[in-house]
Amino acid sequence: MSDASTEGRTHAESWAETVHGRVSGIRHFGAFSDLEIVAPEVAAKASPGQFVMVTVPGGGFLLRRPLSLFAVRGDRIGLLVEARGPGSERLTALEMGDAVDLAGPLGSAFPVSGVTSALLVGGGIGCAPLQFLSEELARAGAQVTAAFGFRDFRAARAAGAFAVERLWVATEDGSVGRRGTVIDILAGLDLPPQTVVYACGPAAMIAAVQRWSLAEGLRGYASLEAHMACGSGSCHGCVVDTARGKLRVCSDGPVFALDEVRP
Amino acid sequence: MTTPLAPDRVDLRVRLGDVELAHPLVDASGTFDVLEYARRFDGDYYAEFPYAAYVPKTVTEDARTGNPAPRVTETPAGMINAIGLENPGIAAWIAGLGTWARLPQPVIVSVGGNSPEQYAAVVRALEEHLACAPAGTCPDIRGYELNVSCPNVSSGLQIGADPAAAAAVVGAVRPLTRRLLLTKLTPNVTDVTAVARAVVAAGSDGVSLVNTFKAMVLDRDTLRPFLGNRTGGLCGPAIKPIALRMVAEVAEALPDVPVVGMGGVMTGLDALEFIACGATAVAVGAANFTAFEAPRRILGELRAELAIRGLRTPAEARGLALRA
Repeated sequence: MSDASTEGRTHAESWAETVHGRVSGIRHFGAFSDLEIVAPEVAAKASPGQFVMVTVPGGGFLLRRPLSLFAVRGDRIGLLVEARGPGSERLTALEMGDAVDLAGPLGSAFPVSGVTSALLVGGGIGCAPLQFLSEELARAGAQVTAAFGFRDFRAARAAGAFAVERLWVATEDGSVGRRGTVIDILAGLDLPPQTVVYACGPAAMIAAVQRWSLAEGLRGYASLEAHMACGSGSCHGCVVDTARGKLRVCSDGPVFALDEVRP
Repeated sequence: MTTPLAPDRVDLRVRLGDVELAHPLVDASGTFDVLEYARRFDGDYYAEFPYAAYVPKTVTEDARTGNPAPRVTETPAGMINAIGLENPGIAAWIAGLGTWARLPQPVIVSVGGNSPEQYAAVVRALEEHLACAPAGTCPDIRGYELNVSCPNVSSGLQIGADPAAAAAVVGAVRPLTRRLLLTKLTPNVTDVTAVARAVVAAGSDGVSLVNTFKAMVLDRDTLRPFLGNRTGGLCGPAIKPIALRMVAEVAEALPDVPVVGMGGVMTGLDALEFIACGATAVAVGAANFTAFEAPRRILGELRAELAIRGLRTPAEARGLALRA
């Protein structure tokens, strides 16, 4: 499935000088926050799957945080942030009108052209890029089905941020939606054979989706998570194993062909 | 009281050994990949390259895959990394030189290895290539930085912590090249001047310091080491005061030896402080991770910091912090 390779770059990846954005909207879903930021330079070039490097506001943090583009509306971008540590807690505490520095869009995008049926699979905060993706796919005329997996009802509150028509949710403790993992949802779906799979989430979920897709004969893409420092491809801090050797999530990815990743 | 100058009256040029630099700032090896910047830039990035010299990521004799993930994380006022010298090996590295041959700035090649022979193999391969490479097929390679101080390679041995071992690396490389030879020193020693003296006696034209501090970060849930390599190298603003002290010690011990100072440089004032401690040039590392435009900003700030103090050149600032 060479057509699923991301080696040929079709998206715009900018010379990402720091832009000074401003928070124009914020919605909280438990530990998750959907930040809407006015950032026309980023919004104009963004494709689903790409990310921005966000400076933690207020000083005291050296490294920027890589965050997927959750949505793009006009000159605004949306970022779905999970409060996980002191840096992301600072981001989820932002208020309307606050300044926030960021750079992007960076990295590879999910290819969408020619897709008629798409299955979006997300795990935890890994669901973040799938809202933007679902909108682009729908615009391209694709039928979109989504399956999101969460640990428990607290984590599943993130699902409230999404507006995807056919969205199935599973929680490991059964507190919301189906009890189990996203794979348990996938087993019950009746999808056309040309369906393209788009997965984003923790390594164990990517591995399970990869196995399932292989068994079903479906091709697709995976967006990977990694700890990053530079975001520019310089430091090799975020490399992952792939069929093409060690590749950088920030600059070779974050979107890879589903069959080439080795989670 | 000195009279401030107009910033454009400041002449930023410095001389690092036999290499003329347009200004004192270079990139710290492994923090800035010119190919990645050029790929994204809307225009000719090589014409806009912000550093006065380019120090690429360390290259070794054979390809290395580096350390397991995670390799980086934030620390208070800094970060820790354990990349493990991931690189394609000198043969593949040489094969790729044509892609960035247009870079006009001088290049100082960072070389790594586990033995003097491995360092020599890299330099020999590159010198042989440069001797017969057609014009225009290679960037302007003007020197080497012998990285004897990476804290993250599995041998467990830091060559640079032992004056005799570090000198042996320099001794193996010196006969192979007439180009500028710098040795990048580790701060993980009791007396950095002993290693500096040893490498200079063995033929190193200058020294770069400091590399990162060997350090450890725990996963707060499991209380196990966070990094895949268990330990890593600490850098960023947290280490700047120690780096300044070490640069000053070397500059006082070896006043005629050019020093490339580094460690947590985030602003032009930080760079000026390294110069005041005796550095001729200053390397910018972790600041590259804070913004793609950081080098230009820091250079503008350095010019302004010199101007406001009435200092016409970096040489006028050099050593101001040292003992009379």
